Amino acid sequence: MQLGFLVDLHLCMGCKGCEIACKVENEVPLSTWRLRVKYVDVGTFPETKRTFTPLRCNHCENAPCERICPVSALHYLENGIVNIDKERCIGCAGCVMACPYGAIYIDPQTQTADKCTYCAHRVASSMMPACVVACPVQANIFGDLDDPTSNISKYISKNQSNVQVRKPEKGTNPHHFYTSGGNVSLHPLASHRVDGHSLFNKITTLPVGGHH
Amino acid sequence: MAAHEILAATNAVVTLDVAIPGTVWPWLVTVNMWAKSIGTGVIFMLFLLLRKHPDSAKDLRFSTTLVSIIFIHIFLLFTLADLHQPFRMWHIFFYPHVTSAITIGAWMATIFVGLLFLLAYFSFIKKDNAKFDKWLTPVVILAIPVTMYTAALMSQCTARELWQMPTETAQMILAALLAGSATMILLGGSKLDVKAQRTMGAVLGLSAFMSFTMYMAEYIFGPMKAEEVAAVLEYIKGDGPYTVMFWLGQWIAYLIPMGLILLARTNNSASILKLAAILALAGLWVVKHVWLMIPQLLPMS
Repeated sequence: MQLGFLVDLHLCMGCKGCEIACKVENEVPLSTWRLRVKYVDVGTFPETKRTFTPLRCNHCENAPCERICPVSALHYLENGIVNIDKERCIGCAGCVMACPYGAIYIDPQTQTADKCTYCAHRVASSMMPACVVACPVQANIFGDLDDPTSNISKYISKNQSNVQVRKPEKGTNPHHFYTSGGNVSLHPLASHRVDGHSLFNKITTLPVGGHH
Repeated sequence: MAAHEILAATNAVVTLDVAIPGTVWPWLVTVNMWAKSIGTGVIFMLFLLLRKHPDSAKDLRFSTTLVSIIFIHIFLLFTLADLHQPFRMWHIFFYPHVTSAITIGAWMATIFVGLLFLLAYFSFIKKDNAKFDKWLTPVVILAIPVTMYTAALMSQCTARELWQMPTETAQMILAALLAGSATMILLGGSKLDVKAQRTMGAVLGLSAFMSFTMYMAEYIFGPMKAEEVAAVLEYIKGDGPYTVMFWLGQWIAYLIPMGLILLARTNNSASILKLAAILALAGLWVVKHVWLMIPQLLPMS
């Protein structure tokens, strides 16, 4: 079994239900996120469009975070999930530096690395990840990539010409796919990120782990 | 709220996102690299001096070992200080993960420290120069990977295209040669005869020249190899946030010392050579810091 995610960006409406569900389910502290939805505006008024991209750990088959972790705190589960043992983590932040997707953070409460685990604790109890349950439009599709009859496998098969991963050039083989995504949605350098220009506040960066 | 600037090419602007992490590896890691360059560099230089100028170096065995021990401990202390869970450092030895350059580096550095204390024992307590010189060779051999492992660690940060193993390995070795020769010029003082001073000056000048050349090559040709490198180097170009610091480092660490070394050779001036050494050591910290910081400014998602 190799678990994976697929997000249909055509369906996602940016409600952030998944983001909140993840926060609640995993008690993710303030100022940190395992899953977030990024808005990118494209075009010039009045010809504008807003894209929504949920971003989480890609659970790479060839995970740089697992490779760099000096104490195996980051490790693979048999089902392909890249999990983290917070008791073992020494907080070197090597994984934060190694992740090409910016998906790992230092938990300000435990001072250890943390990230999306595809809700491994729920999966172990045969439940879907919290974000999948919360999505009102079923944009999050989760399942076994090794099973050709699973929803995710069928979705990938049906949308073959339209399935993408983030930064394929990194050779990480993500187990996280997107359909209907474009360069702007998936490539951080394709959009401009202006300091102090987010919709609700001017905070664009936060200290790592809150102690530096 | 000010109007968004919109890129002409994509017309795309991030309008809502969470705050992304700031600097992950801060100045503590710069001190780590800087101190390690001195700690291993002086061992390289002692080895060189004992072979090329044994009379000048004969009284430098213990003092050099002591300086190496001090700076390797500064390196270790700042490594520890940078951990968010420093009291779990022992996990590296009890739950090791051998694919990590951090693990391999920690082991090698630990053995290196042990061997340094052995050298100190031979030079200070036993006063046995023959045994010291015999053990110095394996210490020098170990000092090479201890110097280089940070390059492996940086290259494992796969998102940071700027830090490639081949160039960073060369830069780490050059930094050790530069820092080692500069420290030996200051440490040796009048104990170094003119020929030994010239040798140290040559090592300092040549390593500064090579390092500067590599940085300039990256500065000019880096943007051609990867989009991420191009974006990162923008932080040290034009009115980028690290432009001033980058050029300050290049001048203080490399260009001015190179000029001063030429001046010292023509004037036979030990004072000018010492000034070059001080500037090189100070500038090296600045150069390392800029190179550590700029890739971390790039949004990864």
